[in-house]
Amino acid sequence: MSAAGAKIAALATIIRRICGMPDYAAYCAHLQQAHPEQPLPTRRAHFDAYLRSRYADGPTRCC
Amino acid sequence: MTRLIPTLAALAGAAGWSAIALARGEPISAAWIVLAAVGTYILAYRVYGRFLASEVLALDDRRATPSERLANGRDFVPTTKWVLFGHHFAAIAGAGPLVGPVLAAQFGWLPGTIWLVFGVVLGGAVQDFVILFGSMRRDGKSLGQMAKEEIGPVTGLLAMVAILAIMVILLAVLALVVVNALKDSPWGVFTILCTIPIAVLMGFWMKVWRPGDTVTASIAGVVLLLLALVGGQRVAASPTLAPLFTFDGLTIAYGIIAYGFIASVLPVWMLLCPRDYLSTFMKVGTIVLLAVGIMIVLPPLRMPAVTQFIDGTGPIFAGKVFPFCFITIACGAISGFHALVASGTTPKMVRREGDALLIGYGGMLMESFVAVMAMCAAAALEPGLYFAINSPAALLGPNATTAAAKIATWGFTITPASLEALAAEVGETSLLSRTGGAPSLAVGMAQIFAGAFGRGLMSLWYHFAIMFEALFILTTVDTGTRVGRFMFQELAGHVWKPFGRTSWYPAVIVSTGAVVAGWGWFLIQGVLDPLGGINSLWPLFGISNQLLAAVALCVGTTLIIKAGKARHAWTTLLPLVWLLVVTLTASAQKVFDADPRIGFLAHADQVAAQITAGTMVAATGARLIFNDRLDAALALIFVAVTLAVVAASAWEWFRVLSGRTAAQLHEAPYTESALA
Repeated sequence: MSAAGAKIAALATIIRRICGMPDYAAYCAHLQQAHPEQPLPTRRAHFDAYLRSRYADGPTRCC
Repeated sequence: MTRLIPTLAALAGAAGWSAIALARGEPISAAWIVLAAVGTYILAYRVYGRFLASEVLALDDRRATPSERLANGRDFVPTTKWVLFGHHFAAIAGAGPLVGPVLAAQFGWLPGTIWLVFGVVLGGAVQDFVILFGSMRRDGKSLGQMAKEEIGPVTGLLAMVAILAIMVILLAVLALVVVNALKDSPWGVFTILCTIPIAVLMGFWMKVWRPGDTVTASIAGVVLLLLALVGGQRVAASPTLAPLFTFDGLTIAYGIIAYGFIASVLPVWMLLCPRDYLSTFMKVGTIVLLAVGIMIVLPPLRMPAVTQFIDGTGPIFAGKVFPFCFITIACGAISGFHALVASGTTPKMVRREGDALLIGYGGMLMESFVAVMAMCAAAALEPGLYFAINSPAALLGPNATTAAAKIATWGFTITPASLEALAAEVGETSLLSRTGGAPSLAVGMAQIFAGAFGRGLMSLWYHFAIMFEALFILTTVDTGTRVGRFMFQELAGHVWKPFGRTSWYPAVIVSTGAVVAGWGWFLIQGVLDPLGGINSLWPLFGISNQLLAAVALCVGTTLIIKAGKARHAWTTLLPLVWLLVVTLTASAQKVFDADPRIGFLAHADQVAAQITAGTMVAATGARLIFNDRLDAALALIFVAVTLAVVAASAWEWFRVLSGRTAAQLHEAPYTESALA
């Protein structure tokens, strides 16, 4: 990845984190490091699981 | 360096407060307010915040946080502190800190500003910090769970009932703000309607076409939204299209109720999640824009520091500066709702315990700063204009001439011609009696933006501000309805088990319907209220929010006492006592005061007398009386629930302090951190 591309990717990660968006790359990195035996989910499956856990209960935003 | 920053902050704060104290009579620059506030925040953060972190809570960087121990790459993710600060701030800041100060500006800018700055330093930031800390030590448990474990199961249940009730009032009053901003405004309605297809498009992008590509989808969504904003101007100017998007308040209210129901039963990816992203982007962007705008323009505050309405005769809402200033401004000074968010996603992401000071205490200081800016934007308006926009039609009469005459009796001058000219300048037919705070804030913001980034775009800036407020209020409405539904199902599940199953469709429909009917009822009541709705609903919202803060501070005090730090318990007891004094006084006045503009029961009596005298239609009167009694009952229920929680907590404190029970905290066991 070019230097500019890496910067954009880093910025996108920060935006995701601030807005509470799913981070597929970070999840895959975590899985490979912590549970290398498990297969990586597809992007679609990861997004679905994220939606289920984020909007499952409790308010995520204030008034 | 360690001494230099607090010293400079103290000097800056002292300079700001001195300028405020000395400059009586003539308008002072917003610069002094900003200086006073920021100086106080930095000093408080460095001195009081650090005291809380090291002495009271004893943050320990060697103790592994849940994000480290339970790291799962999804919700438990160690996050750099400034990024998490952004995450937490985006979660706590919303319409509350923008609308409350604007309404409280009827007392003048001084009472609200003092409460915002000192309330946050000693109350709101402490609450957020302590609850974030408590949840972080308990693997991210919610406020309700902590209340249950540390105080008792009944308290946990009561806290949940309180949260559901506050949710209902919150959604009603916020929806009312949107109704008042959008009624008879084809431009606003068109832009807000466009957000629905834009969100659905984003939803398909993120779910079907490019799974998980949320950032691109959100950026595209923001661009489309800005196009819709520009398109709205064309719609409003077109004689054929404008009538199609012009609705009265009641129609818009029913529209929002229907939207709230549909949005919270549809799959979240379709509407709810993309709107959440869209409004977060807009929120962060616009708040930064507002800060930059105020710094560039530094407008003079034309509103007097203190107005005559501190005596309780204010047109926007009735009641004296004490206690009503302190419940009108909740978010920005202290907001119980934050305790729910501070025990939500944030504690699962804290990387090191020490970071919690910046995120919990500092995040709330930042929200207070947003509220101070909203106060500046409102106070920068001509006072006559401010009261023309925010006073109900029952007081101002039907047109600019009657309004200007009425406002002159309050001692503020505004000409009918200038009122009409300003309405035309922002692209509306009228700005009179657009109560609820959002429209006057939008005018204030438009003037600041136009001053900072170029004149001549007033109408675009005004509708930008309206769109941004309506967007995130409606996002609160759909997410709030969904959360309320889960709570309703959980509570009802105690009575009848199958009802608690969140995937059982009949239960989903019935419980969503119940929650929507709850806030919808209060919304319609607010729209039909001859006094404008804000007068009765905003104080109820403030009371419920502050009482929830009292519950959170009870939990916080329990944590501190059980940790063997009873000598430091004043840090949470002080704001707790203040909140109880404020909210109990306000509740008593709202229910029992003899002035029908303040007391719900006195208003019911007044309506009954009007029915007897034949000056009011019996059916209308009966509805008003029912609503007054309902509001009164609700205020009393809030008080009863809170007093029960306070009593249960005090009993627990007594038992621990007298040695009758062992001080057993339910923290997760200590694990050494690999990060320290």
